[in-house]
Amino acid sequence: MSANETTSTSRTSQRSAPVDKAEAAAPLPPAISPAPVLLLEQVTKWYGSVIGVNQVTLELRSGITGLVGANGAGKSTLLRLATGQIQPDIGRVSVQGIDAWDWKAKRRVGYCPDSDVFYEEMSGFQFVESMARLCGYPRRDARLRTEAVIEQVGMVGRCDRKIRGYSKGMRQRIKLAQALLHDPDLLVLDEPMSGIDPIGRQDFVELFTELAASGKSLLISSHELEELEKLTDHVAIMARGRIAAVGTLTQIRELLDDYPLAIRIDTPEPRALAAHLLRLSETVAVDLSDESSESGAGTLVIQARNPRKFFQDFGRLVIEEDVDVRRLESLDESAHAILGYLLGGNRG
Amino acid sequence: MEYLIDLQNVSRQFGDVEALRDVTLQLPPGRIGLLGPNGAGKSTLLKILMGLLPPSSGSGRILHHELTRGSGAANWELRRDIGFMPEADALVPGLKGVEYVALAGELFGMSRRQAQRRAHEVLTYLELEDARYRKLEEYSTGMKQRLKLAQALVHDPPVLLLDEPTSGLDPSGRSAMLRLLLQLGKDFGKSLVLSTHLLGDVEQVCESVVILLNGEVRRQGSVGELCARRQNRYRLQIQGDPNGFLEDLRLEGVELVHDNGRGEVRVAVPPDWITRTFFVLADHHGVAIRGLMDDDESLEELFYRVVGRT
Amino acid sequence: MTTRPAAPVLLTYRPWRGQLHGPWHGIWAIARTSLLMLLRRKLFWALYAFSGMIFLFYFYGQYLQSWIAMQLNEQELRLGSGLVGITVKPKDLLELLKTALRLDGSGYTYRSFISFESQIVMIVQALAGSILIGNDFRFGSIPFYLSKPLHRWHYLGGKFLAVAVLINLMTTIPAIVLFIEYGMINSWDYYVDQWRLLAGILGYGAVLTVCLGLTLLATACGLRRIVPMIMAWTALFVFARLLGDGLAYGLGLNASWRLIDLWNDIYLVGNWCLGMPHGSIRPQPQPEYWEAALTLSGVCTICVVYLHRRIQAVEVVS
Repeated sequence: MSANETTSTSRTSQRSAPVDKAEAAAPLPPAISPAPVLLLEQVTKWYGSVIGVNQVTLELRSGITGLVGANGAGKSTLLRLATGQIQPDIGRVSVQGIDAWDWKAKRRVGYCPDSDVFYEEMSGFQFVESMARLCGYPRRDARLRTEAVIEQVGMVGRCDRKIRGYSKGMRQRIKLAQALLHDPDLLVLDEPMSGIDPIGRQDFVELFTELAASGKSLLISSHELEELEKLTDHVAIMARGRIAAVGTLTQIRELLDDYPLAIRIDTPEPRALAAHLLRLSETVAVDLSDESSESGAGTLVIQARNPRKFFQDFGRLVIEEDVDVRRLESLDESAHAILGYLLGGNRG
Repeated sequence: MEYLIDLQNVSRQFGDVEALRDVTLQLPPGRIGLLGPNGAGKSTLLKILMGLLPPSSGSGRILHHELTRGSGAANWELRRDIGFMPEADALVPGLKGVEYVALAGELFGMSRRQAQRRAHEVLTYLELEDARYRKLEEYSTGMKQRLKLAQALVHDPPVLLLDEPTSGLDPSGRSAMLRLLLQLGKDFGKSLVLSTHLLGDVEQVCESVVILLNGEVRRQGSVGELCARRQNRYRLQIQGDPNGFLEDLRLEGVELVHDNGRGEVRVAVPPDWITRTFFVLADHHGVAIRGLMDDDESLEELFYRVVGRT
Repeated sequence: MTTRPAAPVLLTYRPWRGQLHGPWHGIWAIARTSLLMLLRRKLFWALYAFSGMIFLFYFYGQYLQSWIAMQLNEQELRLGSGLVGITVKPKDLLELLKTALRLDGSGYTYRSFISFESQIVMIVQALAGSILIGNDFRFGSIPFYLSKPLHRWHYLGGKFLAVAVLINLMTTIPAIVLFIEYGMINSWDYYVDQWRLLAGILGYGAVLTVCLGLTLLATACGLRRIVPMIMAWTALFVFARLLGDGLAYGLGLNASWRLIDLWNDIYLVGNWCLGMPHGSIRPQPQPEYWEAALTLSGVCTICVVYLHRRIQAVEVVS
């Protein structure tokens, strides 16, 4: 499943304009589109005899894509391939059609690395300005770009202090600033929000959403699934050097046929509801737990195949039998749960 | 009731900068989360809780140790009852895993044999059994985090202070660590003080929270008490195109509080609303309800409310 | 997923109830661990082998001396056989050993032995400093130590103890072995007559330990990496020595200028402990013993103050 099935809608926190119902029902036909922002074709990379990524194919268009996976799954290798720092042993990596190794491609990519690699004696402004000069801007343009970019990341009052005294959040902003200098089409971010307090994180979420809305493509590798879920529901899951799944979380969840969806239902009369649910064909198992929530409702956990149809049938069941539903929740649809299944049990 | 932490008007200055101002905390033993933006004074508070820094003014006690004042020797005996898991890598390179933890045990005051025996036991409990004879430099991030927890646990302290215990861990490592902490707190009766930026961690593990802002305590208490219960709010997940459905809801008097654009909405319903109506209206428009939950204030919303952001 | 309980865990966490000793207990643990890490380095063993060689030289030299004295009846001695043999006159050899090396069990022997050994000690110190303390700063181990129920002085005490063991293993203890050997070779009265020498050896060792230990700790806390440490160390001992020599001897200034040479100061105080006459120290114009002692006390105090300020407990939580 490649990433271009989800059309290039920008992910904003505002609701998009109401779309005609007929259009929403049928999927849009694949458009004849220009080269994708990032394309990895059957890419394999070794480090000596250790394999980093194993025949990975990935295509990104605009919007935010999350990259999740365990440590050692190959995420950093993939990011380094995307930014043209290493070359694949087999396959091809291209940014908007140009090979990623080529300097012309690197012009379109902005990279915000995981580790802090700064010249600590410089001030934030000086650092970003030096990076701008390295990008090839002449002196005056470098200064203007630096000022613009520093404002974009919200470091205006604080950029004159030495980096040595910066907090983690400020460092991340400077890194992001230098990645934005040349206005790249593709932003590759490795753990951008680690170590930042919740307020800073919210700022970043807004900033990323803005950047995505302006047409850029973001590839964010993160362990913090909760933050990623706020930004996007389009993720690529990596495990053991391969892409395990790409798409929205719901789509990925539907791929896992072996694991019927676990759904929790709180209702005052669980057994009666259980009896009704057993009549539905999608129900695989019903688990009556003895714990009762504070409101005096009982809890049911059922397992259902074909979730789409199940929820439609469930809705009708509620209407027909006048069920008082206090709570309805899919227990293992989060990125966290899906990762758990894909990576197979307890690790780490 | 015997408080775990009992601070009265504790302040701490560094030259002109006031890191903590008039902090009064009374927290019973249990699992406590310490939250706050950068620069709020969390690290200063942790140092005071560990007896590394004396307060500039105010008094208090941690467990049964009185806090000493002035700039003299701070209260190192307090650290016998505390296991501290630092955020940064506090490793002694060149040592093997079990040697490192045994050293920690000896530094806490255990005899050499007891420390070694206990080091093996704790490393097994934390699933580092296979790696314990390897040198520390060869450990992965997840293993290093567990190793830091091991050296905090070796002398079985009643209190654990943890600074960002899940930093650098991948999602499965993170949930494993949180489960471990919950087990230590619930099943083995240890008190935990968890300082972190990840609200999800606090939600999973902690019973009470302290929210610091600009050196002051803005909130303290149990999560259940602090988070507002909103009886009339629901969170819905909708499968299909929600627009007609939401229109109808509006007509029924339901207010749309938030829509995340991906099928998840939060609504405020009028009194005497029954949930069946959601399903009726949904069926009308050919959409299905995938999720229905009470929309009580989450820890995140509480945090933003306290810290003053929407 | 149905909430099936996970496989029952039989081996779970066990609480521990036991006696906790005080922080002094930790000092030996720190010293032992630091020494262990140093001992794991091959470079250390190479340097220790050098110092062992010097010791063996003195050890067998003393033995050879008494053996030759017994052989003095014969006019000539053939050492070795066949082509590789050499003919020596025992008398000449004895003269050589007595005058040049002064292996006579007097203060001169121990003075020269300890001063030779301490040159090797200095090199080992540079290695030890970077491993013992420099590594702690670089890899962030200080928070590990200070988050335990110890004061920072216990931490420094542990490191100092490790350094002290190192120094004494190379200087004082071999010197004592030489002392015992001499007595066993010659006469038991040696122990009774020359007990002051034994005290002197211990004194010299103590001075070395305290001065070198403190300067090492201070330098290592200031400069954590090995190359700057070696540079500072060389400046402190080798360069200052040349400077002191140049000023006092070359330029003919007051002998007190030699006081900047810490190495010489330690040598002077050691001589004082061994009861050696002031005039026997070469090259001559030398500052007085008490001047050297005063300088060393000053340097040690500075080191202590510096250490007090450098190891701050506030580094523990970032």
